[in-house]
Amino acid sequence: MFGLSNKGKPEAVSMKSAATLMPEAWRAEVEDHVLDLRWSPDGTMLAALPSLGSIVIYQHDGGVLARLPAHAGGNGAIAWHPKKPLLATYGHDSTVRFHATPFRDAPTEFVLEKGWADRIAWNQDGTLLAATVGKKLFILNADSGAVLQTMPDHKSTICDIAWNPCMKNQITSVCDGGARMWRVGEAKPFAHFDWGGASLIVTWSPDGRWVVTGDQTPSVHLYDVKRRHPLHIQGYETKMKTMAWQSDSAWLATGGGKSITVWPCTGKKGPEGSKPIQLFGHLGDAVCMDFAPKQPLLVSGGRDGLLLLWMPHRADSPALISQRNNEITAVRWGPDNAAFAFGTETGEVFLLKVSLR
Amino acid sequence: MTTQLKRTPVTVLTGFLGAGKTTLMNRVLTEQHGQRLAVIENEFGEVGIDHELVINADEEIFEMNNGCICCTVRGDLIRIMGNLMKRRDKFDHILIETTGLADPGPVVQTFFVDDDMKEKLFVNAVVTVVDSKHIWEHIDEADEAKEQIAFADVILLNKCDLVSPADLDRLEARIKAMNGMARVHRTINAEIEIQRILEVGGFNLDHAMTVDPKFLEPEYPFEWGGVFQLPAGEAQFIATQNPDPSMKLTLIPVKSGSEDELARARELAVRIFSLDAKEVSAGQSLHCDVHLYELMLSEGEQRWTLQVPETSFYAVFTEHYPEELDLKLCVGTREVVAAPAAAYKPDHEHDEEVTSVGIEADGDCDESKLNQWLSKLLRERGTDIFRMKGVFAIHGSDQRLIFQGVHMLLDTQDGGSWGVRKRRNILVFIGRNLDREELNAGFRACSV
Repeated sequence: MFGLSNKGKPEAVSMKSAATLMPEAWRAEVEDHVLDLRWSPDGTMLAALPSLGSIVIYQHDGGVLARLPAHAGGNGAIAWHPKKPLLATYGHDSTVRFHATPFRDAPTEFVLEKGWADRIAWNQDGTLLAATVGKKLFILNADSGAVLQTMPDHKSTICDIAWNPCMKNQITSVCDGGARMWRVGEAKPFAHFDWGGASLIVTWSPDGRWVVTGDQTPSVHLYDVKRRHPLHIQGYETKMKTMAWQSDSAWLATGGGKSITVWPCTGKKGPEGSKPIQLFGHLGDAVCMDFAPKQPLLVSGGRDGLLLLWMPHRADSPALISQRNNEITAVRWGPDNAAFAFGTETGEVFLLKVSLR
Repeated sequence: MTTQLKRTPVTVLTGFLGAGKTTLMNRVLTEQHGQRLAVIENEFGEVGIDHELVINADEEIFEMNNGCICCTVRGDLIRIMGNLMKRRDKFDHILIETTGLADPGPVVQTFFVDDDMKEKLFVNAVVTVVDSKHIWEHIDEADEAKEQIAFADVILLNKCDLVSPADLDRLEARIKAMNGMARVHRTINAEIEIQRILEVGGFNLDHAMTVDPKFLEPEYPFEWGGVFQLPAGEAQFIATQNPDPSMKLTLIPVKSGSEDELARARELAVRIFSLDAKEVSAGQSLHCDVHLYELMLSEGEQRWTLQVPETSFYAVFTEHYPEELDLKLCVGTREVVAAPAAAYKPDHEHDEEVTSVGIEADGDCDESKLNQWLSKLLRERGTDIFRMKGVFAIHGSDQRLIFQGVHMLLDTQDGGSWGVRKRRNILVFIGRNLDREELNAGFRACSV
């Protein structure tokens, strides 16, 4: 168990500008609050998901490749197939749509039960798609769209899901009552971590060692799969809103309040007994983060409209990338490290070129 | 640089099954009030309204891993509200309908505990619809019914056409004993001006005080007092109604028919009302001898003779309003009118487990002492305190400090400058087994 302290927190952090290192390449607009941005695996397309309205596919130069139909009742999630030129979209009409690039043909649709529907995720090899509806988790065959399995009722509506990146049939779901670990094909979860509260977000480390939940009670739970050992980190100011892994699984960034806390996750014990790095710079809650795929760089966006660039291991002052008048709601590095996209609550989408060394 | 967030009001609708919640909800949805509403219901509503959004919810409680019931929140509300807040076409108002058996605590706590909700939304009001005829079946037994009343900012005594005015008075008194802060409206078919539901304002304590000015007054064991000028000889008390089996009464000689004399007699009457009462049946006599009498009531017109020793002024204090018994004091055939006369806030014979305590004090209070007192109070008694509201005059600050809380959770905000207003502190607590003296003493210790 750890306690975080904000003692010594600076009132204001002097920042250098990173605008010249990440100049704006283009900007565009979608119809509403940007819920998510997702790059295609080859980095040539960027999908922008607004809360309402068309889902827009941008080319790397900012040209609009396609406007995909909105989901009735509101959009929920998007996910690129890891190996095929295919984008899955999902929303509150409980309809999964498979759009094949270059988006000229009508999508293939699969309608699930009515209910709260805002999470989908492909497994590691793209053979399975998981989708949540209320308290149920559905596993769909990626080719036929057939429902292979319905994971039974959870304690509350499922808040988030994440596949084990190293095991193509293991998925974790979180809700009130913690995390459930499922193997596709088995009727019951093979593990259930009920930490006595509600978990809101879940993530696996890229190396498959750690499964981490961010909770309604301001805390983070980690489970070291290798050692079968749970950890509980408390002391946050707010509930968790965002988490991000460095690509080599060495660092886990956790955020929700004005400060971002970064935990070392290497070594035998990972964060246990270690001192985290706390990053101060946001004037409002940090709500989205992403690590660069090939460098130890973290970008965070906040309710304060600040987009900040960090080198967490140096615990240095951040560099200011951009300053907006409204909340930054989504940030995403391009897979080639050469581009970076962010979105705002008013529906703006920006692409920045990356010229960092 | 930082976005200026305007918080969206949320109104929570509670009430037992069949009380009239859906009727009220439909009224709000169909009436022209010019506001764009999002409605969170427990079932898909039958009313389909083009310009409103109706969302289904499941009343999912998020438990807290610290085990504190005061921190439990409604997970479904966080999810749905979070989603609504991510829409460009923001709503003017959000209405949440709870099921009849819902505990309002987690609903209200959601807007205190969850930082996203706290930042973007505020509780305009908890509105509780009460079935005036059938509430008696639940009010003593069901904790949910008590808590729905205790949490309310506005209470609708609905279906009031199905009960007698006397029963309605009795119900209102009972409810006010539990929650003296709420504004109570009597309705038929939940007919009420929608502004009284949608424009309550959460923190508007000044407004709350205008509804029940007696709330902060001390409580008395009688509801009415008046001074009569009587000639020596005999007078007659005449009653023609008997809503209760008996009514207590005392007579106190006073020097004049003035407000001051009535006030002096009132304090003596409080002590007299603590004595054992002497039962007097119709036809028997009363004396102006500082006794507590209990008029035994039966059917039809009843008379009691009052022996008046000398021509003078006499203060009479009655347990209930004289109108309830149609009680008159006559000399011969002439009815004597009391002047002056006053109605008093009664203390309540129901020995309520759930009560409210109001404290009012002029002058300033010390912020540090106030913090210490409230912290200790909420730490030790937070589970019993359902809601609290107040405004403080903090020594050294020209701004009004407004607070409201639920259980152990407290939220404060700047209430604007005192300006020419008289600096004073007002606190209201609603909870279970509250100790009025202890609360008063605690607050007095914070005054400067």
